[in-house]
Amino acid sequence: MPKDHDKDVYPEPPSRTPVEDRQSSLPNPALILSKLFYYSVDLPVTTFRDIVEGIQSGKKSHYYHQKFRRVPELTQCQEGDYVCYYEAEMQWRRDYKVDQEIVKVIQERLRACQQREGPSYSQNCYKELQQFEQVSKAFQSRYGDLGAYASARKCLMKQKERMMAEQQQA
Amino acid sequence: MVGMSLLRTAAAFTARLNPLKRTCQSSNLLSRTVARSEQVVVRYGSHGKRMFIIKPTDFYDRRFLHLLKYYILLAGIPVAALVTFVNIFIGESELAEIPEGYEPEHWEYYKHPITRWIARTFYDSPVKDYEKMMALIQMEAEKAEMRQLQLEVRRHMREKGDGPWFQIQTLDKNLIDHSPKSSPDN
Repeated sequence: MPKDHDKDVYPEPPSRTPVEDRQSSLPNPALILSKLFYYSVDLPVTTFRDIVEGIQSGKKSHYYHQKFRRVPELTQCQEGDYVCYYEAEMQWRRDYKVDQEIVKVIQERLRACQQREGPSYSQNCYKELQQFEQVSKAFQSRYGDLGAYASARKCLMKQKERMMAEQQQA
Repeated sequence: MVGMSLLRTAAAFTARLNPLKRTCQSSNLLSRTVARSEQVVVRYGSHGKRMFIIKPTDFYDRRFLHLLKYYILLAGIPVAALVTFVNIFIGESELAEIPEGYEPEHWEYYKHPITRWIARTFYDSPVKDYEKMMALIQMEAEKAEMRQLQLEVRRHMREKGDGPWFQIQTLDKNLIDHSPKSSPDN
């Protein structure tokens, strides 16, 4: 089974199991359903997984996350040095992908928080809301309307426009 | 005429009153209706009466579906079996930190064993592709620079005229034979 999520990242509120105080002699439907689910789904799946892991035990191979070196950016390249342009472009594309994944993680946190808190989410998940707002504003201002043919040059030009607008305001 | 119809009515009446065929019992003796006989349930030992059902042919449709299933499963079942056995007996890789001083091969960045095999057997490593692209870019950049330089040099030589490109070679003046020119009216 893949590892369960890290409990510190998405903390769940402490569960308050009520003390059973049964007053009816009817069978508890929740218990029946949970036992049904356990015997029909959980147990076969777990035993199958254990068998498969028993077969696979020992020769485990590993995979790694690739680490890329930092290269000079587009602003640090000489004019006409097309190789430097290419390396800067590739680095910018990797950074763009990383930023997209960062936004997805923040969105996932906010979603989990809203699911946990229920109707009172706007009050209880204030930190996640602020973080999401900040991150999405930053992403929009940097990569916002670049489109499908985004490139490092276009991003640089957008940054130039932003700085000129800021200077005009100041 | 009238007698004939009377005779016919009498014949029909006597036929209805035939004691050998007691279809009508009491109430409808004098009327012309015939009582419905009860349906007796017939039990066959076979699948019922054999019918020749006339419907449009489904030969072509069934043949098409049969062939479709056959050709899909011809490759589908081996591929499904292969993928199942790879997943059960070989299994996916686990994520690990890169050990110190170790440079992983380019296929060791993938998780599924079939993806790793494809990357190992068929694909070049992404580092090699990157370097190939940079080599192409450098060659094109050098060609572009050479062309720019050539245009610049052409311009200079055409302007100043002291370079070899825009000079037309003439004959050596020592080769000219001046002898016919000394006696002009020959």
